[in-house]
Amino acid sequence: MAISPALLDELHKRRAAATAGGGPEKAAERKKKGLLTARERIEILFQPGSFLESGMHAEHDCHHFGLEKKSFPGDGVVTGVGYIDGRPVACFAHDFTVGGGALGRIHSKKVCDLMDYAMESGMPLIGINDSGGARIQEGDDALSGYGQIFFRNVLLSGVVPQISIIAGPCAGGAAYSPALTDFIIMTKKNAQMFICGPEVIKAATGQTTTMDDIGSAAAHASISGNIHFVADDDRHAFAIARKLLSFLPSNNIMDPPHKPTPAVTMEHDERMNALVPEDPKAPLDVLKVIELLVDHSDFLEVQKDFAKNIVVGFGRIQGIVVGIIANQPAVKAGTLDIDSSDKGARFIRLCNVFNIPVVTLVDIPGFMPGVQQERGGIIRHGAKMLFAYAAATVPKITVIMRKAYGGAYLAMCSRDMGADAVYAWPTAEIAVMGAEGAVNVLFKKEIAAASDPKKKAAQLAQEYREKFSSPYEAAAKAMINDVIEPAQTRGVVAMALRNSLSKRETRPPKKHGNIPL
Amino acid sequence: MKKLRVTVEGKVYEVLVEMLDDAGTSAPSPASAPVHVAPVEAPAATPAPVPAPVQAPAGASGPGDVVSPLAGKIVSIDVKVGQSVNEGAQVATVEAMKMNTYIFAPKSGRVDSILVNPGDGVEEGTPLLRIV
Repeated sequence: MAISPALLDELHKRRAAATAGGGPEKAAERKKKGLLTARERIEILFQPGSFLESGMHAEHDCHHFGLEKKSFPGDGVVTGVGYIDGRPVACFAHDFTVGGGALGRIHSKKVCDLMDYAMESGMPLIGINDSGGARIQEGDDALSGYGQIFFRNVLLSGVVPQISIIAGPCAGGAAYSPALTDFIIMTKKNAQMFICGPEVIKAATGQTTTMDDIGSAAAHASISGNIHFVADDDRHAFAIARKLLSFLPSNNIMDPPHKPTPAVTMEHDERMNALVPEDPKAPLDVLKVIELLVDHSDFLEVQKDFAKNIVVGFGRIQGIVVGIIANQPAVKAGTLDIDSSDKGARFIRLCNVFNIPVVTLVDIPGFMPGVQQERGGIIRHGAKMLFAYAAATVPKITVIMRKAYGGAYLAMCSRDMGADAVYAWPTAEIAVMGAEGAVNVLFKKEIAAASDPKKKAAQLAQEYREKFSSPYEAAAKAMINDVIEPAQTRGVVAMALRNSLSKRETRPPKKHGNIPL
Repeated sequence: MKKLRVTVEGKVYEVLVEMLDDAGTSAPSPASAPVHVAPVEAPAATPAPVPAPVQAPAGASGPGDVVSPLAGKIVSIDVKVGQSVNEGAQVATVEAMKMNTYIFAPKSGRVDSILVNPGDGVEEGTPLLRIV
C-alpha cells in the first residue's frame, strides 16, 4: 500500500503554481530589470536549503471589484523560518509579482502569524519590503491588516531583534511598520520610502520636490535619519542583516553572541598613544580610536551618514560584544545636538534591551550652541541621552579621552549617571565649563579692574585649567576609577567588561519610564 | 520663488526659496522673471533707485561655495586663490567649541575666490570660499 500518486501529483502541481508567484512572464520582467523575486531573495539571505515556508497555499478571500476571478498565490507574501549562522530567523518577503505585493487580509494574517511565532519562539524577524501598499479592493480589511502588523511590531520590540530591508517601494502607512523595527536597511536603487510622494506634496502644499529628495536611501541615511544602513543592492542588504545578527542575541533573555578569548591580554598598544594630538584643539578622529579598540578593527557602524558628530555601532573587545557610543571631535567639534542626541539615545536603548554592554568614548566640549538648537528643543532631545544612559542596566564602561564639560559630560555616561567603571586618559579635562568661560564668570570684577584685562583673564584661565583640566581632580574625588595611558585602553576596557558581565541591577518596578520624546 | 543650490557638508541640494513680503511693496515682483543669485550690476546712469543688493543671509550660497558646517571663528584659509584642489583636500579651519574643525573640498577644482579672512566670525552655512 502506498499513497495514491494522484494526490502527490496534485500537491506537486499546487506547489509549482504557488512557487511560481505571479508567473513566468512577471518573473522574466523582473529579471530584465535586474530585480530578484521574493523567493530568490530568501534563498540568498539564508543558509542554503534551510528555509521552511509556511502559508504557501494561502489565497486572498476578496470578492469585490473582479478580484473573485483572480488568483494571488501565497497572497503576495512569502513567510517562513530560515537559518543564519546556525540560528533560526523568521522572515517575510513581499512578492511584487503577485498583485504588486499589495497587502490584503490573508497576506497580513500570514505576516502576523509569523510575528507571533517569532515572539513566542524568541527568534529575530527580518522583513523584506517590496510592496505597492494596501490592496485597495479589500478596503478596511487591508487597513486593519496594517494595524495588526504595527501592533505586533510593538509587541516584538524589545523581545526579538526586528530588521527591515527596504528593497522596493514602501509608501504611506506601510512605511510605519519598518519604522517600528530596530534597524532599517535600504537599497540604493529601486527602493523608495515616504509618507506622501512628490505629487501629493505638490497638490497639498504647492512645494515641488523629487523622489530622490524625500524618499531615497541617501536622503533617509543622511538627512531624515530614518534608516540605519544603505546597501548597494539586495545581496549587500542581506550581508548587512547577517552581520547585524552576528552581534545580537536571538531574544531579550539571551546574551549576545560573545566569543570570549580564553585570557584577557593587557598588552599596551602604543598606536593608541600616537593617535592623541598634543594640541587639545586639534581634532581626534574617533573612528581611528575605535579601530584600535575593537577586535580585528571589525566595527559595524550604525547610521554612519547621519549626525556624524556622534559615532555608534557594534564590535567585540577581546570577544565580548559591545555597543560603542563615541563623540566625533572631527565633526561639529563633537558636540551633542538634536540629531546626535536622538541617534545616541536610541542606540543605547537598543543595546540595553538586548543585553549588550555599552562602551562610551568621551571627547565633548558641550551641547551645540545655537538658536535653532534651543528652539528645536535641544533640552528635550539632549535629555534623551541622560535618560537612556541612566535607564540602561547593562554594563556601562566609560573612557574620557579629552574634553568632558558640563551637562554634556553627564550625558556621556559619567559615574553619576550609572557608569560601572570610568577611565580617563591623562589628556582628560573634566570640568563644569571651559576655563575661559569659567573665569569670566568667577572673576568678572578682577578682570575688569586689571590694568591688562586680557592678560589677567588668560592668567586666571591658566590657573583654572591647571586645577580642573586634568583628570586628577576628578580622580581625587573618586569620580573616576583610574587614569590610564591611551595605550592601555583596550586591555583595561576588556578586563572591566569581563568583570561586569555578571552585573545584576534591580530597579523599582514600573510599567516603563517616561523618556522625553 | 528663487531656485538656489546649497552645499551642506559637501552635499549639493537644490532648494526653492519663496520671498515673503520684503521688497514686495516697492520693488518689482521678483517672481515674474528668473532671478540669478549673483548681484546684478546697477546700470551706470541710474544709481539711485536700484535696491541695494540684499546681504546674503547665512546659508544662501552659490554653486561651488564651500560653507561653514557650524558657527565659529576662522583660524586659517588653507588654500590660495587660483590653486587647484582635489576633492577631500583641507581648505579651511574653523574654531568653535574649543576645537578646530577642518573644512574639506566637496569637489575637485580651482579656488575661484576666498570670501572670509582669518579671525572672522562665521555662522553655520556662511560661504567661506568658492571652488569652480
